[in-house]
Amino acid sequence: MNEQLQALVALQDLDFMIREAKDPRRANQEEQLGFPLGGVQKLEKTRERLAKQIDDRLLQTYERMSRRYGGRVVVPVEGKVCLGCFMGLPTATSNKTRDPATVENCENCGRILYRL
Amino acid sequence: MPTAPIAEQRPATHLENHLRADLFIPEIKNKRKAAVLEELVGHLADRGITRFPEPVLEVLRQREALGSTGVGKGIAIPHARSTLVAERAVLVARSKKGIEFESLDEHPVHLCFLIVAPPSENDPVYLQLLAEIVKVVRLSRVRQKLLDAPDFHAVRSIISGQLHE
Repeated sequence: MNEQLQALVALQDLDFMIREAKDPRRANQEEQLGFPLGGVQKLEKTRERLAKQIDDRLLQTYERMSRRYGGRVVVPVEGKVCLGCFMGLPTATSNKTRDPATVENCENCGRILYRL
Repeated sequence: MPTAPIAEQRPATHLENHLRADLFIPEIKNKRKAAVLEELVGHLADRGITRFPEPVLEVLRQREALGSTGVGKGIAIPHARSTLVAERAVLVARSKKGIEFESLDEHPVHLCFLIVAPPSENDPVYLQLLAEIVKVVRLSRVRQKLLDAPDFHAVRSIISGQLHE
């Protein structure tokens, strides 16, 4: 997995965590179980630092799709299927995602692809 | 016609469904939080839960920055959603000597339940697993039994007993 894709994955995971911690219902459930969630600002600063490591165009694509899909933008490919939209990928795309130097998008939904 | 004992007729809880003999560490080697998390994620990677241990470890570190998952009374339940895990998994690990885990009560951790799951907006099971673990470990005598259990099957049986109490 190339560095840009790795940074995007980290960003997506961090965004998920921040979103859950800021969701009052979800945060309340965790806090009631005994897990304090006081470090949201710390995570937001980490997110800022991480976002700066990502290529501007790639970051914009991620942000735009994140708003569009409301969450998971970087998704795995299983077999030749994008697990974001569950559509089959053309052979050329499914081969490109094996190349560690490229970041590929699903031709159907536009999500960013990686292989688990 | 013979009938199964009542306990066997009860549907398995989410936690029981996730317990696996190969995701049990009877005695953790390390004693400090950072090294322990690394050891646990390494174990997950060895069992095929992830091919990318470093990013998974990083998301667990970030979760600890949000707030310690060392909830006190010798228990830690580190948990995080990671894009790079293929499936939900629960790893049970013990430390008789104790781990410095920056717990809320500052006591060493002896029982560790690690949960990882892929990110999903709609995954009630993840939170349910947390709740079930909290329920299992609430009594001191049960925590001690889990520490003294000779093997995974005994640990599993103690956990099942508590969940169906």
